Amino acid sequence: MEFELEGTERYALESYQWLLERILMDMGISTLVEQVHLIIRPDQTLFIISMRIKQSGSKRPVYDIAEMESKEGGTFINIKDESYAPRLLSSLWRLYGRERVQQLTRLEIFVEDVPKEELSDMKLDPEEEVRSQLLDAMWRLLPEGLKLRNEYFNDNVMTIVATEHDMTVDFLAEAQKVHEKMIKGPEED
Amino acid sequence: MYEVLMYDGGVHKIDELLDLIEDVGGFVLQRTQVQVMITLTIAIPAEDRPLIEKKAAELGGKIIEVPLAGTEIAVIGPTLGRHHMPHPICDIAEHLRRYGAITIVMGLARGRGRKTCQISAAEKAIIEEYDAAIFMLGNFKECVTHEKIDLYKDIQIPVVAVIGPELESLPHCEALVCGVGRKVERMRRSEEIAKLEEIADRVKEVIDKRRKEIEEDPLFVHPSEVKEVLEDMDAVQECLRPAPVVLHVDGLRVKIPYKKHLKEMEELEVYGRKLKDIAIISDCRLGDSTIIKIKTKAEVEGKVR
Repeated sequence: MEFELEGTERYALESYQWLLERILMDMGISTLVEQVHLIIRPDQTLFIISMRIKQSGSKRPVYDIAEMESKEGGTFINIKDESYAPRLLSSLWRLYGRERVQQLTRLEIFVEDVPKEELSDMKLDPEEEVRSQLLDAMWRLLPEGLKLRNEYFNDNVMTIVATEHDMTVDFLAEAQKVHEKMIKGPEED
Repeated sequence: MYEVLMYDGGVHKIDELLDLIEDVGGFVLQRTQVQVMITLTIAIPAEDRPLIEKKAAELGGKIIEVPLAGTEIAVIGPTLGRHHMPHPICDIAEHLRRYGAITIVMGLARGRGRKTCQISAAEKAIIEEYDAAIFMLGNFKECVTHEKIDLYKDIQIPVVAVIGPELESLPHCEALVCGVGRKVERMRRSEEIAKLEEIADRVKEVIDKRRKEIEEDPLFVHPSEVKEVLEDMDAVQECLRPAPVVLHVDGLRVKIPYKKHLKEMEELEVYGRKLKDIAIISDCRLGDSTIIKIKTKAEVEGKVR
């Protein structure tokens, strides 16, 4: 993980870097973060954090992680890659409702009235969960008193700008600039 | 002058030690027994310490210095949110207990933020019931030096400020410890434990100074002597709260309702005088307790004459 620190107080920057490292380590997601940019200016009450996550592969189709078989009245799914089991189950629940999705055993699922072809086309996004975890880490890190917040995010970069009283145009512009720089990545700096 | 010490040993022949403490005119402030091991916090006349040490050695136990025994200290954080609690506030509170202090942890209702941080009059009054307060003020120098100092500016008890950035001094506080800011895990590294020791040392200095000030115009009786009398009350004996009577440097906190037991407490006799004549008894800001501030010798004797 690479850190870029910018601000008026050395101690604050270093301690917040250390805090973020510990928070990510606690949550077991420190390997997922590629780069962090921190701007802390207590004199202006400005706190900007931007994080870029590693590309952990593209969306995986369901046929890649499970075997499917057409049965009478639905499709039987046998999961091969266990790490995707919770995500697949929650996606199925979300799409078809709990009544139509039965979890027979830990890795076996039966989906009522859904053809095999429809399930094969489904894709699972591994980064969805990662993003929510990273957002949680950022919220844990942000000073409690800085209640005015604005977020920028795209596929792999998340930026939060926080202040206490007035969110000025300058703060937003600075956050946006950092966000865009993080999207471009280190090679294009 | 009473000295507060801790005895750590076995229960075998403990009655001999208890008798000796009583013979020299001392008191047992707290007794904790776990199976065959016993810990006693005792207050004894300083000149009789060698006698007690000799008896403790005879029984195979040891006497430990507890410089903060007989004090109640508040450790205060900006809020009770997970940004500030439980680390390092609870670590500091727990460390001070090892030196005999009774500690409480408190979060302010609106203590977070830079320009929005504030403390209410009720919060100040609660804090002032303790012997000393430790304020955790965070990682930002600008914020600590300009705004957070207002949180404890008007507090009438000694304040130890604990902050992250290194500073030479900070106004309105009796002591300052730098290098302890926000934490997300327990303080268990050697340098962190050294910081906890430093905080305990600063608190000890502050309490010693307070005790010396009191010695210049000594209290009419030592709080432990009032504790002994209070413990005979039925209400105190029936009280199920931990440590029903807590010693302060200049008084006590009794965890029984003020309104209900005021008359009874006023009439208690200490060295031939009623408690109402030698102490100021008042209601406590925190649930169903009573605060007793012992008057000085000059105050009591001047009034009697």
